[in-house]
Amino acid sequence: MFSFVSKRLSLMMMTKVCCFQRNFSSALPPLVPVKLPSKMETHFWYVLPDEVKSESLLSQYSELLSPREKKNLYHMQGDQFKKSALLARVLVRTTIARYQTNCQVNPRSLKFKKTIYGKPEVDWENGDKWCPPPLHFNISHTSSLVACGVTVNVPIGIDVEEKQRRLKNKILAFAKRYFSPDEVKLLTAISDPEIQRQEFIKLWTLKEAYVKAVGRGFSAAPFNTFTIRARVVKMGGFHHFDTQHSEASEIVVESSDDPENLTRNWQFALLDLAGSHYAAICIEKENSAGGEAGVPMRLTVWKTIPFVEDERVSGTGAVVPISGLIKQL
Amino acid sequence: MASVTGTSACMTSLSCSFKQTQVGRISSVNSVSLSINGKSFPSLRMRSAPRFRVSCAAKPETVDKVCQIVKKQLALPADTTVTGESKFAALGADSLDTVEIVMGLEEEFGISVEEESAQTISTVQDAADLIEKLIETKSA
Repeated sequence: MFSFVSKRLSLMMMTKVCCFQRNFSSALPPLVPVKLPSKMETHFWYVLPDEVKSESLLSQYSELLSPREKKNLYHMQGDQFKKSALLARVLVRTTIARYQTNCQVNPRSLKFKKTIYGKPEVDWENGDKWCPPPLHFNISHTSSLVACGVTVNVPIGIDVEEKQRRLKNKILAFAKRYFSPDEVKLLTAISDPEIQRQEFIKLWTLKEAYVKAVGRGFSAAPFNTFTIRARVVKMGGFHHFDTQHSEASEIVVESSDDPENLTRNWQFALLDLAGSHYAAICIEKENSAGGEAGVPMRLTVWKTIPFVEDERVSGTGAVVPISGLIKQL
Repeated sequence: MASVTGTSACMTSLSCSFKQTQVGRISSVNSVSLSINGKSFPSLRMRSAPRFRVSCAAKPETVDKVCQIVKKQLALPADTTVTGESKFAALGADSLDTVEIVMGLEEEFGISVEEESAQTISTVQDAADLIEKLIETKSA
């Protein structure tokens, strides 16, 4: 099924194209450009691999990858996994390319690098005339959903997980080994095993999103050194939240290592996405908003099949807020 | 990596047979002549303590056990090839799978893996090598 990838691998030549052609590939239509999120906004894009059925489209997608990405893909085992890995690279490349509104950027020409801690980021080519946008992104994928979150100025971390995900180990044994004591206490108090499993998965995605947002790897923030929990906030003031309860719940992180100041800088959202996944988003608050309590995360969500269709789904049944202060746009 | 007086030699490039046949000798003498990558070096004086270890690849049995645990965690089809060189990421392990695998290895081998070490594991061989190192440290 993926033999076209190996064929392309031997035939493809990397051509560096910057900013010229609108139609870099005669077969693919141009990407619909999107304005950068404002400083207080988060953009969230996702693809459902099951909706991408066309072999020729997948073949065109694979042409967007760098030689190294193609090589990594070639070595992956399992068709479903390979497909979602391909779509993850395509999603990140096309998403970032959409935001270049002043000049068209070929998603294939984007380069990526890693920080010294291993967090992926865009390697903008040093052009004199061009000032790269302060764009941050983070990717997460399962075999059934591929997602990319985008912010401006502030770091972002996301994690998605299938709602039905089951652990091979016992939940409490796993939590005792890896989660904080307060989190273990919370999970232990849940008597219904199915609810306990769901709460575990939600907590896992939030913790992952946080570590990915901080961007310094697990060793900088071992899971058992911080606690993530929901805190009820009063609804006074002019903010409107999307949660149905009269009291909104804010998600906070408390660290046993760092002083409290650092952990107050992070904002979370937890969503039920496409009915099938939990999605956690963690962004750093801007300095000005750091002290202010109760400011929601302004969030826009799109479901996409790159080059084929984009559908804004925020505010629909595809995106159901579970906790965190969220304002869907 | 070990540095010896006069020159620095990359010990990890030495084959396992070196460890088996030479260790006894090194621990009891202060100078030894080494043959590295076919070149032979003059006698080198060991400045540090006589006891000298060369790190070496993990036993095949350990690698096999790790492969089994990985296959089980990822529910891979029986005919999937998993070897020492297999990368967890290429096998379809996400971060939760990787942590579950590490937990499975801890239980199987009776060791405790710190997050810093877990982060450095990317292949089955890495995991097996780390396991043996931890077992050794534990029994020392």
